[in-house]
Parts: sequence; C-alpha cells; structure tokens
Amino acid sequence: MLEARHLTKKFGTLTAVNDVSFKINDGEILGMIGQNGAGKTTTFRLLLKFLEPDSGEVLWNGKPLTKKDYDAVGYLPEERGLYPKVTIEDQLIYFARLRGKTKKEVKPLIDEWMEKFQVKGKKSDKVKSLSKGNQQKVQLIATLLHEPKLVILDEPFSGLDPVNAGLLEEGIKELKEKGACVIFSSHNMNNVEEICDRLVMAKDGAMVLNGTIHQIREQFGRKKLFLETPKTVEELALMPGVQSVHLTRDGVKVLALQDAAYGKEIFEQVTKDGYISTFSQQPPTLEEIFKMKAGEQHE
Amino acid sequence: MNKFWIIVGQVYKKNVKSMGFLSMVLSPIIILLVVAVIIYFVAQSESEIPKIAVFSDEPQVVEALTSQPHEEMTITTAYQTPQEAKADLEAEKLDGYLQLTEENGLYTGEYVYTPQSADVDIEQLTNLLSKIQLEQQTEELNLSQEAVETLLTPAQLKKTRIEFRGGGGITTTDNVEDAIKMGSAYAVGIAVFVFIMTYSSIIAEEIASEKGTRIMEVILSSVSSTVHFFGKLTGIFLICLTQIGIYAVIGLIAFQFPFVKELLAGVDVIALLKGLAGTSLVYFLFGVILYAVIAAFLGSLVTKIEDVSKAVSPIVFIALGGFYAGLFAFYSPNHLVVKVASYIPLFTPFVMPFRIASDTVSTAGIMVSVLVLLLFTLITTGVSAVLYRSNVLIYSDSGMFKTMKTSLKGLKKT
Repeated sequence: MLEARHLTKKFGTLTAVNDVSFKINDGEILGMIGQNGAGKTTTFRLLLKFLEPDSGEVLWNGKPLTKKDYDAVGYLPEERGLYPKVTIEDQLIYFARLRGKTKKEVKPLIDEWMEKFQVKGKKSDKVKSLSKGNQQKVQLIATLLHEPKLVILDEPFSGLDPVNAGLLEEGIKELKEKGACVIFSSHNMNNVEEICDRLVMAKDGAMVLNGTIHQIREQFGRKKLFLETPKTVEELALMPGVQSVHLTRDGVKVLALQDAAYGKEIFEQVTKDGYISTFSQQPPTLEEIFKMKAGEQHE
Repeated sequence: MNKFWIIVGQVYKKNVKSMGFLSMVLSPIIILLVVAVIIYFVAQSESEIPKIAVFSDEPQVVEALTSQPHEEMTITTAYQTPQEAKADLEAEKLDGYLQLTEENGLYTGEYVYTPQSADVDIEQLTNLLSKIQLEQQTEELNLSQEAVETLLTPAQLKKTRIEFRGGGGITTTDNVEDAIKMGSAYAVGIAVFVFIMTYSSIIAEEIASEKGTRIMEVILSSVSSTVHFFGKLTGIFLICLTQIGIYAVIGLIAFQFPFVKELLAGVDVIALLKGLAGTSLVYFLFGVILYAVIAAFLGSLVTKIEDVSKAVSPIVFIALGGFYAGLFAFYSPNHLVVKVASYIPLFTPFVMPFRIASDTVSTAGIMVSVLVLLLFTLITTGVSAVLYRSNVLIYSDSGMFKTMKTSLKGLKKT
C-alpha cells in the first residue's frame, strides 16, 4: 500500500506540488490526470525520493520508502530512453539485475514478455535498430520484467497506437491482479476510464479531484441528456430546465440541464407519444470534467 | 551479486566490447609503427651517396682528398674544368663541385650545388680539409706526432653533482641515469595527458548519455546515486588498467623479437621501467582518478550528450596547462613557477615526475605533493559524489552554472 500525505514541494516561488494526498491499496490502479506542468512528474519524483518534499511524507506499507524497497519499484520515466547500442536482452537483464533479480531468473521471461507486447525484433537486436514504438515496448518490459510491487508509469500511453495501448492496458491489469500498486499519469481519458480504480486530478500542483471514477462523475450530477426523438431542437429548447440543445451528426439531440431533477419531467413529455429509442441521462464524461476543471480560474 | 559490481561489470563490458576501445588501444601502437616506418625510410634514403667533383691548383690536396674512399660521399677528379662539372650538375649527374685555392698553406674553397643535389655534410667536408691542412702544416713546421697531439687535446671537464640530504650523505648520479629518468618522466607526462583526455571524455559521455536518455532515472530508482557514481568510476578505472595491461603484454611479446631487442640495445629498459613504476606511477594513477572524477561531475551537469565536449573543456585546458608546465619543467626544473605548479594537485602529475627526474625535489617534498594530491582527490571525489545525486536529476537548458546553482540549493535543503 502506498500513501502520500500532504506532499508539498516548492521550487523557488513556484509551488509545483501543493498539499497532495492519496492512497493506493495493493491491487489498485490510480490514474493521475492533469495538464502539462500540473505537477504530475514532480509528484512521482517525490514518491521515488528523487526529491525531498518541503513537507509531507510518502509511506510504503506504512513505513518510509528505503533502499531495500527499490527492488520492488518499477518506474517508467516520461521521456523514454534505452542504451542504443546494447541488445534488447542485455539491457533487460541489466535493469532486472539492478532490481535484485538474477540473470537466470529473468532470462526465460524475456521471450514471454516480448510476445505479450508483440515486440517486432529479435532479443539479440540492438535497440537502435527498433522503431520508436517497439523501443517504448522494450522499455515497458524493462519496467515490469522484475514483477514490481510498486509501479509508477509517467505517461505510459503517449506515443502508442490504440492496439498497443490496449496491450499495455492488459499488462497493467495483469499487474493489478498480482497485487501491485499502480500509479500512472495520462492525458488520454479513455485509458484512464478503462483501467483506473481511483483518479486524482492535479491542477497547478493542487489536487482538484480525488476519488473513484464513478464518484467523481456522479458528483457533477447527471445533467446531460441524450435523446432520439421526433421533437425538433426548438421544441426541446422550450422544455423546463433545458439550458441548451445540440444536435449531433447521428441525429442524437444532446440537452444540457440546469439540474438533474428536470430529467423526469422531460422523460414524461418526450414519451407521451410512445416509444423513443434513446433516453439516456448521464453525468459529464471524464474528458468534459477535465476540460471544465482545467479551464476554471484558480481562486 | 552486489549492485555496485553489476554496474562496474556493465560499464566495463559495454566499453571493452566497443570498437572505440579497440581503436583507442591500437591507435598509439599504430602511430608508433608509422613513425618507425618513416624513420626507417628516412634512414634508407639518407644512404644515397652524393658525388662531388674537386678542382684545385694544388694537386696534393686533390690527391689527399681522393686517396682514400669516404663513406658519406664520392669525390671524383673526372672533370677537367668547372664548366664541365656545371654541365653535369645541370643534368643532375653530379651533386656538386668544390673549388679550392691555397694561400700561405691555408685552404679556402667554394662548394657549388643545386637544390636538387643530394645533401653533402659541409661540416664534414670542412673537417676533412682541416685535417689535410693540419697534416701539411705539421709536416712543414717539422712538428712531432706527440707535439701535435698535445696541441690538439682539449681541456677535460668532468661533471660531478653533490647532493646534501638529511643526514649529510653524498650521492652522485651519472648522466645516463639522468637521461633515463628524464625520459621516463617525459613518457609519464605524455601518458598522463593522453589517458586523462581519453578517460575523462569516456566517463563524461557515459554519465551524460544516461542522463540524456533518462536511463539515469530508472537506475536511480534501483540503486543509490553514490553506488552508481563509484560503480561508473571503478568500471572506467578497470578499463584504464586493462589498456595498460594490454600494452604491457604487447611490450613483453615485442621484446622477444631480436630486432626490437637490437633497437633498444642502447636503452636500459629495466632502469626505465623502474623510473616508471616508482613514484611516477602513483602520480599517473592519481592523476587519472582525479581528472576522471571531475569529468564525471561535469558530465552530470549537462543534459544532452552533445554538450559533453563543452562540459569537459575546462579539464582539457587545465590538463593542457599541466602538460606545458611539465614541458617547462623538463628544461628548467628549478624555476619558481615549476616549483609552485608541482604542488598544485591538478598539475602535480605532469610536473612532479620531471622534478624527481632532475633531483630538484627532496623526499619530503615528494611526500608532501603525494599527500596533497591524495587529499585533494579524496575531497573532490566526496564533493562530486554528494552533488552528483542532485545534478543528474536536474534537466535545464539554462546551462551548467545554473544547474550547479540549483543543485547546491537542493543540497542545502536536504
């Protein structure tokens, strides 16, 4: 279990991380979202003890993280890099040995992982001969090969196509099943929604959202209504509590409500004449929440 | 296995396996071979013997010149007039001609040649003539052989240096030993410079490339920065020892060949090795370590591998300064600047071997300089190791000094 308690880190006059707290249980995945410069990478560096917090603490299984715990860490930095002139196998073994594994232990696992992530290339290939995407996969393998218990991934999805992003999602889920604590940052809300148990959103160093995805979305209320009805946009706009109506290309009308409670009344009106194929009242998507929160002015 | 040795092994294997290492080890040998080949050919071409004609109104001098063959030139009387000789000179059939006149038993002459002519040692020609002149003069003056010898024997001077050390004991050294000492000091000077240059850039590149590719972040979440720092240094140091070892083996093998033995016949190899293996080796090793540590520190300051050469340029200049101070010490080991420089740790490895070779420093002085060098290396290593951790995680485009400042600030806080 990883716990961050009131972490604060200042660089000169800039507060990069401001009173950030969260908890990840074993077998849980925490997604960290936020714009560039929101303090995600700095938070990860605080977790890894690369930086000393000005205040607050990081606890791993209730105790401060020590050198011994390094072996259980899997860290993927935001900017990627491997030794270009060293073979895939040699560097995977080197990184695993630095995490306390022996060559014997990890050597048989390499083929398995390369297959799992569909790395194109032989393990005797030098890294510089691989495409960027494949290099990234090799680095992911280097992060996960030693079966870490605390996995920190900084923007793991950036640069991956949807197929490979899917493979990575599978990989992360597998770690979770093995009981690892996973924390990752992302810009892509789809990945976050898909695999996260909990979510933290950072803005200007502070946490603006924290909770499960369900909780977070529900706290914004079900103010969006998707409708497929013969009624025109103008007719819908006149209904009670409707702030705006927007027609999508597929012919779905999207209504923004003043309050979720108006939903019931609208339901009755649009179904008066019988069957309609869509009536769906939804909370805002993560992406909408993200944009909303990112756009808010700092009080 | 200990993580320290995993890093040492990785650095060592990666570098020794690389093409760069091979060329680094072989290039001095190839340069030596090329120089040897050039010297050989120069020596060969020198054996082209110039052919010169001689004209004089005094037949006895022509006879004396031509009566016996000379090793370095062929003297011919085949030409009747200087005009004839000139014609052949133009046709490059002749290398030059000598026209001699005599006045009161003294010869004066003119040697005529063209730029295309094979070189004639004019000094030797003069000596030859002087000898003939002297012989003719002694004959004329009726001097005995003994008298001539007495006249010609120069005053004899013998060089004896007396040194007064602690107990008042007296040591004298002869010139051959001196030359060997100076020679080995010179070799150490060049070796220190070459090794410092090569290994400084290797270690700075190692670190800057890991920092630039962010491998550093992964490594530092596996091991402590101190382990990483010393692992890298140890790995590089072992590579350095490997290179020296390879040279030793090559030297031993080369020594089995008779022509190498012949070549080194005039040199007391054992004495040379003794000179190298003594205090000079201590200076050599500490010199390389000290500069490698500073290079590692500078390498940790830059963000991109392209900036490495910029980062290590202070080292290059300091080492170059040291190297020239060493050359200066070669000529005037007692100069105040040399004396001072020999105690400045960054210059000691270059300068002190020359002072030891010329016996211008006391044993106490040597001890002090080794001690100062040792302490300075230890302190530099300690400070570098501490700063290393914060240096390698700072990525800034604003340059090395900014990085250093940020790094120091970070240090104060923790």
